[in-house]
Amino acid sequence: MNKNFIMLAQNSKYNYVEQACVCAMSIHSTIDNANVSLITNDKVPEKYLDLFDNIIPIPWGDLAEKHEWKIHNRWKILHVLPYDDAIVLDTDMLILDDISHWFEFLKKYPIFFTSRVKTYRNEWVENDFYRKKFTKHNLPNLYTGLHYITKDPFAFEFYSVLDKIIQNWKDFAGDIQKEASVDVAAALAASIIGCEESVTNSNVTYPTFVHMKPNIQGWKDISETWQNKVSAYFTNKNELWIGNHQQQGVFHYTEKDFIKEDIKKIYESSLGIL
Amino acid sequence: MSKGILVFAFNNSHINYISQAIELSKRAKRHLNLPVSIVTDIEIQNSVFDNVIFYNLKSQNIKQYYDGSLSNKGLAFKNDARIAAYDLSPYEETLVLDTDFLIADDKLIHCFKQKNDFCILTNAVDIAGFRDIREFCHVSDKSVQFYWATIVFFRKTELNKIFFDLLNHIYENWYHYKQVYQIEGRTYRNDHAFSIAIHIMNGFVDNDFAVPIPGSVLYTTDRDILYEIDQDDFVFLIEKEKRLGEYTLVRTKNQSVHVMNKFSLDEALKNE
Repeated sequence: MNKNFIMLAQNSKYNYVEQACVCAMSIHSTIDNANVSLITNDKVPEKYLDLFDNIIPIPWGDLAEKHEWKIHNRWKILHVLPYDDAIVLDTDMLILDDISHWFEFLKKYPIFFTSRVKTYRNEWVENDFYRKKFTKHNLPNLYTGLHYITKDPFAFEFYSVLDKIIQNWKDFAGDIQKEASVDVAAALAASIIGCEESVTNSNVTYPTFVHMKPNIQGWKDISETWQNKVSAYFTNKNELWIGNHQQQGVFHYTEKDFIKEDIKKIYESSLGIL
Repeated sequence: MSKGILVFAFNNSHINYISQAIELSKRAKRHLNLPVSIVTDIEIQNSVFDNVIFYNLKSQNIKQYYDGSLSNKGLAFKNDARIAAYDLSPYEETLVLDTDFLIADDKLIHCFKQKNDFCILTNAVDIAGFRDIREFCHVSDKSVQFYWATIVFFRKTELNKIFFDLLNHIYENWYHYKQVYQIEGRTYRNDHAFSIAIHIMNGFVDNDFAVPIPGSVLYTTDRDILYEIDQDDFVFLIEKEKRLGEYTLVRTKNQSVHVMNKFSLDEALKNE
């Protein structure tokens, strides 16, 4: 079975390419024979080039050029996908376990979105602190941070609607929120097409990820960052601990300064990257 | 395979845990038809217990005992014997219960019928409904899941022996574990030690060493008052939200309840 992953990275004031490289290292550290592709126009450091079997330029110009939050090229992922199927990941994620078996489940779907995420304590997030608009507008709770795509015509249709929504944000979603959001766009696309049941499944326990937005962790107080609330440790065996909990599966760290030199060095050392 | 209930009862200057244990034993025989052994530090001559096991406590804490929302006292809290339950229990299959658990149904018999070797109370339901229950969800704000040592079922297996040895280790190094798991307050609590030990036995992840005991269990806190016991009918005064010293009358029937107000439990037992 193919185990394909793809990410899109566009540097801004943050180095998303470096995040993608760390994510790719985490994939190769946990999953044998995984394929990882990166879509980017930015330079990938020489030592990380071998992590990717394809480095693909963003096609058809840079639609995110004028935007700080660069989501406007996301819809192109499917069009340049070098595989028959793949899991699309946000760059600020770490794969901490072999999740190959997820593909066995995912291959039943032309396109699939995670709709339930977890806290670092492996508890399902029930709180809509960051998703009030989803609740208010009764939108399907889709997360594009981890989703699965294939070259099925239905997936192309979905991505085409996604593109139209993002490029015409004011018309489609200006009343919902000012800034374009891929998650809201995907939820709107699913609503417009009427395909929620076909693109997610809230009864399954995976695919999912640990979502480290601070105010959905079940803590008493609201916090700007999770790193101020709970300690993180990365061991020499590539294990990530948050507080008293060893992390499993996919970890979405969300805070750009989480990846420090020590984490990179440990991954590099385990993969023999000099 | 021998089956039975183990209770721990150590009186202090105001609370008669042994009379609570006697009540529990009578109820256990009536509803569950199980023998009851008591672990204590004084001599007891009461035929409701199948075994009286003497235990020298290692230490004691001081804890604030509330008697409704307006009254409290700092009293000796002798709770370190429970970590020795594995060695003390005369049964192959043991149900450990708090003495302040008023049995009024036969739900717990299912512990002995299910296949898991270690079960513990997780589905505890506050009878009041409005109180902040986060302290019963996690041992501290950012730490691990909370388990109630109020009801624990275990079989004598090698793995459970390791669990109880680990509990003993946690107890002996309580200051360290209290820090690591960010537990506030000075009092050693079995709930916390059991929760930490389960987390460790689970390999520091969400796992299946401990499974919930069958069903859910109602509890009232020490801010509430047990007003009356009439066989399996219990009448409580449940504290009102934002109205200190005011209560709502609640009655339960044929339903077991964990009664944390020890003063009113003692009083109700005297009047039963």
